Amino acid sequence: MLELLKDQFTFSVILALVIVGILNGAVAYCIYFERKISAWLQDRVGPNRVGPLGLLQPLADGGKFVLKEDIIPANVDKPLFLFAPFMALVLGFIGFAILPWGGSVDLDGDGVVDVIAQVADPGIGILYLLGIGGLAVYGVVLGGWANNNKYAYFAAMRATAQMLSYEIPMGLCILIVVLTAGQIRLEEIVLAQVGNGNIWNICLHPVAFIILLTTVFAETNRTPFDLAEAEQELIGGYHTEYGALKFGMFFLGEYAHMITGSGMVIVLFLGGWHLPWIPGLQPEDVSIGAMLLKMSVFGAKIAVFLFFFMWVRWTLPRFRFDQLMRLSWKGLMPISLALMCYTSVLVYAGKATSLAWCLGGELGVVFIVLAINAMRTAPITGRQRNMPAITVHKPAGAP
Amino acid sequence: MIEEKDIIIVDEPDLSTTEKLYLPQVVQGLRTTFKHLFKKNITVQYPEVKREQRVENYRGVHRLNRDEKDRVACVACFMCQTACPANCIHIVAGESPWEDREKYPVQFDLDELRCIYCGMCEEACPVDAIELTPEYDIVGRSREEMVFDKEKLLAVFERTKDVKPRKNPRITGYAGTGDREQSSGNTEGEG
Amino acid sequence: MPKIIIDGTEIEARDGVPVLQAALESGLDIPHYCYHPGLSIVASCRLCLMEMKLPHPQTKEMGWAPKLFPSCQTPVREGMEVRFGTEKVEANQKTCMEYFLLNHPLDCPVCDQAGECHLQDYSYKFGSAESRMYEQKQVNPKKDIGPKTLLYSDRCVMCTRCVRFANEVAGTGELCVTNRGGRAEIDVFPGVPLDNGMQGNVVDICPVGALLDKDFMFKQRVWFLKGGDSICPGCSTGCAIRVDSNENVVHRLKPRFNPGVNDWWMCDAGRFDFKYVHDVKRIAKPRLRRGQESDTPDWSEIPDIVRYRFEQHIARRGGASVAVVLSPMMANEEAWLLATYIRSLAPEATLLLGHVPIEGEDERYPVGCNDDDAKFTINNEKCPNRRGVEMLIEQLGGSTCAFEVFAKKCADGEFTAAWVVGGYPKGWPTKDLTKSVKKCELLVAQDIFENELTGEAEIVLPACAWVERDGSFTNAGGKIQPFERAIDPIQGARRDGQYLFEIAGNEGLYSGERVREMMADKMAAYANVAEAPLKPAHQH
Repeated sequence: MLELLKDQFTFSVILALVIVGILNGAVAYCIYFERKISAWLQDRVGPNRVGPLGLLQPLADGGKFVLKEDIIPANVDKPLFLFAPFMALVLGFIGFAILPWGGSVDLDGDGVVDVIAQVADPGIGILYLLGIGGLAVYGVVLGGWANNNKYAYFAAMRATAQMLSYEIPMGLCILIVVLTAGQIRLEEIVLAQVGNGNIWNICLHPVAFIILLTTVFAETNRTPFDLAEAEQELIGGYHTEYGALKFGMFFLGEYAHMITGSGMVIVLFLGGWHLPWIPGLQPEDVSIGAMLLKMSVFGAKIAVFLFFFMWVRWTLPRFRFDQLMRLSWKGLMPISLALMCYTSVLVYAGKATSLAWCLGGELGVVFIVLAINAMRTAPITGRQRNMPAITVHKPAGAP
Repeated sequence: MIEEKDIIIVDEPDLSTTEKLYLPQVVQGLRTTFKHLFKKNITVQYPEVKREQRVENYRGVHRLNRDEKDRVACVACFMCQTACPANCIHIVAGESPWEDREKYPVQFDLDELRCIYCGMCEEACPVDAIELTPEYDIVGRSREEMVFDKEKLLAVFERTKDVKPRKNPRITGYAGTGDREQSSGNTEGEG
Repeated sequence: MPKIIIDGTEIEARDGVPVLQAALESGLDIPHYCYHPGLSIVASCRLCLMEMKLPHPQTKEMGWAPKLFPSCQTPVREGMEVRFGTEKVEANQKTCMEYFLLNHPLDCPVCDQAGECHLQDYSYKFGSAESRMYEQKQVNPKKDIGPKTLLYSDRCVMCTRCVRFANEVAGTGELCVTNRGGRAEIDVFPGVPLDNGMQGNVVDICPVGALLDKDFMFKQRVWFLKGGDSICPGCSTGCAIRVDSNENVVHRLKPRFNPGVNDWWMCDAGRFDFKYVHDVKRIAKPRLRRGQESDTPDWSEIPDIVRYRFEQHIARRGGASVAVVLSPMMANEEAWLLATYIRSLAPEATLLLGHVPIEGEDERYPVGCNDDDAKFTINNEKCPNRRGVEMLIEQLGGSTCAFEVFAKKCADGEFTAAWVVGGYPKGWPTKDLTKSVKKCELLVAQDIFENELTGEAEIVLPACAWVERDGSFTNAGGKIQPFERAIDPIQGARRDGQYLFEIAGNEGLYSGERVREMMADKMAAYANVAEAPLKPAHQH
């Protein structure tokens, strides 16, 4: 039995099954917590009728999704209409495959590392995640197209443009980490952060972290970047015509995406399963117990991130589309490009892991951005300069 | 017509340099919402807990009052039907079997689903026969069930008369001279 | 046309009318109760008093006379000057209104007159908001003064219009004023209830809610009613009436002012005999016999079916075998559409006037008057349009025959296709008629109720009641009077005019006016119809 487990393939299959099983439940409970957290933030109670504390609510929701009449409208593009929800859900889930859940494991205690607690560890590493992220837009675009509904189509177009725009700063930020670590395999990036005197990348590159976080919000279509499902303008957006289980799949896909995105940020900037100075969470701890502990820590970090996602959703209003575009192309893109260039120079100079140099550079870039902004006459969200000037009438006595 | 001078065009505000980073505002917002995580819930757990209600002017289900002789107080004048903006009242009048009254409602149907609970019927009623009660939790399994007839509306009166007595119990109609009795001092039934 | 000056404005008045009438016709709203242009003048309500310029007894100088004059009793004279808008006149109006309301029970919410009550209107306009009366009001319970009318004495303003009507127009004189002063009231003589063929009018002319109709009692509040200008189909007098309906239910009929025909009045027979309109036994759907089967075709199929059957028949038997019985209940337009349609298929087809129900003799009012002095006549032809159908058949020319001859010819097999229009509120075809018409190979019956004839017919088309149709009737005097639709046809049915319009190959919506224009191209008589005046010459 143990021998069988020591085979990386068998171990991966088992791990995959376990993780998908756990995550499926987690995704369902994400919906529960989304409702709970929104309620708490608004001084309400949230679901509390189904089961103790409303904990069986996801089951009831799921049952409802399954049991509702599954309508396929007459005018939709049927194959794509059926395919799009699978696309959304599957692409949400397969990102889990390369997240380093628990580092290396020595199963029999003989001091030799037998397997790594990662479903797959391809050489391309982080590029795999970028690829998945690029594909993920297809769920939305196909859904919007297949709906044969102009609002859904608008949503799909918005989603495409948004994803394209935010993938660039996202890629640049990932590049910064890759340059710093000199690795593209995720496990190695974690190890590199530990190896750098327990200084996680967030300490070296806080600005890049914030930019990456922003782009993850955009990639997962979460507020304030959820223009693709703007109910007020697009009657629900790309899933307008979807109902029952197919709508449920889109719903689950969104949360699966959030988990993948959080996992990626944690691995790149927050040391993955690692917590400094705590025994059992260091690379040299390879026992099964250590693996489970690392997995829990990784899970806890994801949970914190999910909370952050929800917290932001119930705090910030949605961006306007032009603001969204301007933020990406005129804000995030130049900053991340500048940071990337600066990091390259540091790598060339051998100072890539120097806290002082990195932080100094980041602050410098922020300062330069502020300076440029201050000198510009047009506000970042304001009217174009070629538009006619507006006279503002103020009624008498108005402030 | 809107005058040109009444139009106020509000331009987007000029953001200061730090505001253009968005981050201070985002953090401020997050802080505000985070504070609410620990605030007391204002939710009332409805079926178990019920809010304290205003009795006098709560506009819930209608009732048809009975007068002191236990007859329906309505004189079928159609004033409520006329005043009703939702057209939810339907009355069939008939000659009353009582000496002191001309008309009485043979049929009095009030569609509680069409009703917008504006209280105009209560305002219009010359004999204070129709009133809105503090009762609000009505349910039905069909639309027909929610069309309240005379018996149902009188039953509402039986249910609510202790909570909210009839406003002017002495005015019962247009007896004899037809003149309303002096209305002064008839308001003690309120509350 | 004398010119008089009212409140400084010069107006032209008709010869010999009272100043009140002239003022009302010029658009002034002068309050009045006892004055009615159709009745004698008593000047008893004192509400229409005015100031008038008269020569000073000594100086002969023209000046405003110190006393007030009843404008209803003062005939217009060239150059006379009167005024209503003065303090004196208004004070009089206010005082009068207060008196009228002294003993009034103020039970407007349960009074059927509310909404069209001139006591209400004048109180708002000319009265005061408060009464100074603090004594016990006189109680005067309602009285049953006749089989169709109730009297609420305490609402009465003693204008005596009803008494004068019973004396002068109905000529039966059942009503009188009993007692005097504050105790005066209207009453009937013991054992003589108010029961004549015109008594319904006393309810109309009563300016307040004292006289009320038992038939309309408590049915509706008047402000829910919608009025349709119509013509009474009860007899060939052709009274102009208003059909008051709400939610497609006719609740009452009221006369409209129609000088020379019915003036202000209508008879009780016409007033109350509309109940058949809402009879549940009415034919609501077209019916078709296909072999042994009875079928209800869709309205859109009817024109083709009718045309096909007639064409087949004419091809087999020839056009002379077709007869069309036009009912005197039909409007001119409907008769014309049907007649021209059949003539277009078979030019030699016979058109004839159908059964004319006759009951007794003409009734003239006042009872016992000479024919020339009659103020109102109830015709003995109980159908509205005999004259019109006769004229139409005459105008169209071609083959025609009497109704009796038609039955005989059917029995003889000379007519093998017949379109028989009924529409009478009372059952009409006799057994003999049915027996002979039964022999027709193709029988179309267009009727409002099922009878022997519709039972035998190949095609049954529902006829609508007149309140559901529009068109024109030609009355006994030859006046072509248009009437409009007041309510929608019963569920399933269509207006006769509409389906005849479609059968005749036209598209779109039928309207009497549209068809009259088509008729006027060929027959000039239909270009001018006699509309009753929209507004009566008096206020109420």
